[in-house]
Amino acid sequence: MTKENLSKDNGPKLDVKIGGLRLKNPVMLASGTCGYGEELSDLIDLSALGGIVVKGISLEARTGNKPPRLFETPCGLLNAIGLENVGVQSFLKEKLPWLKKNQVTTVVNILGNSIDEYEQMAALLDGQSGIDAIEVNISCPNVKKGGVLFGTDPKAAFEVTRAVKRACSLPVIVKLSPNVTDICEIAIAAEEAGADGVSLINTLLAMAIDIEKRRPVLGNVFGGLSGPAIKPVALRMVWQVSRAVSIPVVGIGGITTYEDAIEFLMAGASAIQVGTATLVKPAAGLDILHGLVDFMLQNNYQSIGELKIQD
Amino acid sequence: MKKRHFDKTARIIENLEIRPNIFLMRLACPDICSYAQPGQFCMVKSGLVQGLDPLLRRPLSIHRCHRDTGEMEFLFRVVGRGTKALSMQTSGQEVELLGPLGKGFDLKPTQIPIIVGGGLGVAPLLFLAETLSGKKGVAILGAVTKGELLRLEPFKKTGLEILVATEDGSFGNEGLVTSVLERLLAKLDDRAARDVAVFACGPHPMLRAVFSICNGYGVKCQVALETIMACGSGLCLGCAVRSSGGYMHVCKDGPCFDASRLLWE
Ligand SMILES: Cc1cc2nc3c(=O)[nH]c(=O)nc-3n(C[C@H](O)[C@H](O)[C@H](O)COP(=O)(O)OP(=O)(O)OC[C@H]3O[C@@H](n4cnc5c(N)ncnc54)[C@H](O)[C@@H]3O)c2cc1C
Ligand SMILES: Cc1cc2nc3c(=O)[nH]c(=O)nc-3n(C[C@H](O)[C@H](O)[C@H](O)COP(=O)(O)O)c2cc1C
Ligand code: FES
Repeated sequence: MTKENLSKDNGPKLDVKIGGLRLKNPVMLASGTCGYGEELSDLIDLSALGGIVVKGISLEARTGNKPPRLFETPCGLLNAIGLENVGVQSFLKEKLPWLKKNQVTTVVNILGNSIDEYEQMAALLDGQSGIDAIEVNISCPNVKKGGVLFGTDPKAAFEVTRAVKRACSLPVIVKLSPNVTDICEIAIAAEEAGADGVSLINTLLAMAIDIEKRRPVLGNVFGGLSGPAIKPVALRMVWQVSRAVSIPVVGIGGITTYEDAIEFLMAGASAIQVGTATLVKPAAGLDILHGLVDFMLQNNYQSIGELKIQD
Repeated sequence: MKKRHFDKTARIIENLEIRPNIFLMRLACPDICSYAQPGQFCMVKSGLVQGLDPLLRRPLSIHRCHRDTGEMEFLFRVVGRGTKALSMQTSGQEVELLGPLGKGFDLKPTQIPIIVGGGLGVAPLLFLAETLSGKKGVAILGAVTKGELLRLEPFKKTGLEILVATEDGSFGNEGLVTSVLERLLAKLDDRAARDVAVFACGPHPMLRAVFSICNGYGVKCQVALETIMACGSGLCLGCAVRSSGGYMHVCKDGPCFDASRLLWE
């Protein structure tokens, strides 16, 4: 790969649009795996990426789950961080200025325990310079509905999406949970409520047991599985959702190499996010971007959209 | 902006099994070496691991840093697949290193250092001892039995006074490092106690005991902690430990902590 291949004039067109969100290329970093950007700045140039999705943020700071929070499984990672985050006010004061100054395309991942909380978050982020879009994490318990996840109920997903859309003028991407019977149903609900795009998948609900101690490994018992182990499942869901909705789809799940990224773009994704791979190798996202460009050059693809398999 | 950490491929100069299942690996890594501070660590992946399993890099303390030659050492025990792969590597082969990571020991208040290492806990402490060499201080090293004592010779060369404890009494004092520490601190008057700084690394129960002894004598105490890690660089928030001010993250706020800030229940 060369720098020139990335320039607009002689290489393929890499830019993509997700509603009003313009990305200079389709490679983003996934929420919860790139901190608030600054943590990675020593090792990679974040502004060369399509964008980053910051760690999920709530109205108030959250302390997260009791340890242990991590466990490695074959080709995968189990995590139960528990949505630990600094809260929206600290994010705006302490984290956003750095992202803005360094010209990082920034998508803010938000979470809440009620429609009202999501709505307030969206209103607080609206009009803040330096924020390019909102990604709504709906894999959260709806406290008013007895803890049922917003992301598992099409009606709740619709209501959250509509509330966020009404509360702000930013592009809104709804991030889907794979822990449902029919993910297309949820994607359609988000589209009907006005989402500019959907991203998928979040982690798969999973667990591990320590047979010596005869108890679950994670402090929280259950955790979310990510990494290469979930890629085939994620790819299948991206394929299905891309055919069920007409808004752009962002593919996530186990993407580790540029070949993985191309599979998702062929399945129908307009952009992709790299999660666990960044934890292993900070430059994974950039390596994927460079590999993608080389592949497009070698195979004469002029734009990202051309990769998609038409059926 | 000035770089403070690196993602590098480093060449192995030597990898020796110095005790059954315990390896001393020396590598050429001038970049990391020139910035590393005692107590910091690297995320390490063996060059023999091709493919995706094991997936994550493994945290290892920087055991020693030769700034003049740009050589760095790790001291590690084989416990699972990641360390097994590292143990099978030979000179000339490569490892991937991300580092130097985390917050090392705070050396500012150190008038009289007392270093306490139990078993493999000496891993981060030799770098510390060599950095403090020339000071009037003590290193207390312990193991179950004489044959399991690690790195006594290089510790002796630092000029620190060396005290040894073995649980079976086969070498040095019989018993635990904590009894040796307790006897040492009991001899201090109040003024001396203020000048002493204890640095400890080892199994969690040992660290808890070290802290409680130091606390009793009003002596400052820092500990190097271990948790399971994924990124080692503050991205995933997976390495949480409880402190008086809520959760802290071992890879970013530590691994070296002022022991009085941690909750030791
Ligand atoms: C900051 C830091 C510095 C460290 N420095 C050293 C060092 O200098 N020398 C050394 O030998 N070890 C050190 N460790 C521990 C070392 O990282 C683990 O032994 C290693 O990750 C195990 O990997 P594995 O693939 O061989 O074992 P795995 O197959 O991953 O696990 C085997 C067993 O080891 C346990 N384990 C896994 N990861 C850790 C961990 N991070 N800490 C404790 N137990 C673990 C597992 O629960 C399991 O029981 C350090 C850990 C940390 C967090
Ligand atoms: C440690 C960790 C923390 C995560 N935190 C969040 C989060 O705060 N919000 C969110 O929407 N997704 C979160 N995720 C999910 C990822 O963004 C991503 O959807 C998932 O890990 C699958 O992608 P991957 O296999 O590339 O990691 C987290 C994942 C991991 C591993
Ligand atoms: S190991 Fe990822 S934040 Fe500490």
